[in-house]
Amino acid sequence: MATGTHSQVSIWATRWTTLTLVLIPVGIAVNFVGKYVAQALRLPLWLDSIGTVLTAFIAGPWVGALTGALNNIIYGLTVDPVSFWYFITSVGIGLVAGVMARLGFIRSTARAVVAGLVVALVATVVSFPINIYLWGGQTGNVWGDALFAALTLRGVPLWLASFLDELVVDLPDKVLTVLLAFGLFRALPRRLLSQFQLGEGDAQPTA
Amino acid sequence: MRPVGLYVERRSPLHALDPVSKLVYATCFALVPFVAGDLRVTAIVLCVNLSLLVLGRVLRQGLLALAGVGFFLGTLFLVQGMVYPGNATPVVRVGPLVLYQEGLAYALWLTARFLNLTLAAFVLLFTTRPADLVEELVHAGLPPRTGYVLLSVLQIIPSMAARISVIQDAQRSRGMETEGSLWVRLRAFLPVLGPLVISSLVAMQERALALEVRGFGAPGPRTSYRLPWRHRFAWPVRLLAVTALIGALAWRIMR
Repeated sequence: MATGTHSQVSIWATRWTTLTLVLIPVGIAVNFVGKYVAQALRLPLWLDSIGTVLTAFIAGPWVGALTGALNNIIYGLTVDPVSFWYFITSVGIGLVAGVMARLGFIRSTARAVVAGLVVALVATVVSFPINIYLWGGQTGNVWGDALFAALTLRGVPLWLASFLDELVVDLPDKVLTVLLAFGLFRALPRRLLSQFQLGEGDAQPTA
Repeated sequence: MRPVGLYVERRSPLHALDPVSKLVYATCFALVPFVAGDLRVTAIVLCVNLSLLVLGRVLRQGLLALAGVGFFLGTLFLVQGMVYPGNATPVVRVGPLVLYQEGLAYALWLTARFLNLTLAAFVLLFTTRPADLVEELVHAGLPPRTGYVLLSVLQIIPSMAARISVIQDAQRSRGMETEGSLWVRLRAFLPVLGPLVISSLVAMQERALALEVRGFGAPGPRTSYRLPWRHRFAWPVRLLAVTALIGALAWRIMR
């Protein structure tokens, strides 16, 4: 794979083709399915941004961001209006996942874990102010909220407690999300990925 | 998994109203409490939304859909009652835990605001087919390509969901465990997701080709198979909704 060997300019570059536009709904559907399967298997995680991360890996940060944005819009317009508020979180996840991929963080599993940690941190930083505004700092996750209550009662400032509340949920969730997307990405046919590749100078392994 | 969305088939005045007017209404009325910052105003718009759900004959479905968040709202009262920074007046003592009046009042405010947001959205979601909403948004000026992306999500999800159960059955027949400890369930995730995502992405290439052959990327204006949805109360409803939002802002400033 030639991912990550691009110059500084091409981190943000995107190929806007019909294929790119058709990739986005598939990414959103993967988000839905991840959430659905996580619920069906009764996992204590969301796993609802695998598609956003995967499209960011395949087609770059802007496509990832757009997938995240449209994901929350369509979710807000069909099932859960609160997801509109977390619109920015999804955009952030898509952007960061795409940038990390272009910087070469999806060349090995160990690097993908680092990418997952960065995505988790960004998701937390973007989400916790929204949590403070909407819910007085809570997340709705039982373990996170128990930690939040315990910390606040011990005199930890609200913002810090809220940050940690979100972080304990996001850390395992986003690392696993990025690893799953990484596994899927590696399993994709080269022929498909090459259609999203930028520039002619990329060394393509001959299939 | 059913078709995406909360839409319930009924005959009601709300079902007859055009989707864009309902979207304008839902957006404005959901935001009124955030703008007004007042519990009484919130109570009023909450009642308006409840009566509209009655008018749309979807009140029962709406309240049932809310049942899932009851637990979270309970923890909101519990946690905010204990830890809200402005807490001063103790109300209830349960063992070592003390609930304060200020925190409970704050939780009530957050709950009312959330319920109003959700019910306002329900007025739209329960009475509007998602596909109709997207089509009307394209008529109202949304770029057709964005409209296509949103619409195709609505089509892809049910077909993917149908494929999940096929894949799950196939993997089970090969001996995959889907019940048991957390680790077992976690490991069952990838064998289901992998074939699903990869086959969907391969199908995606065919869809892109099919679209391009039919002039998807062609420049120039687009025509529509369906006429825009007209309703005689469309503009009065939109005007009323925007007025309510401006009224809420005025209330906030004057008070």
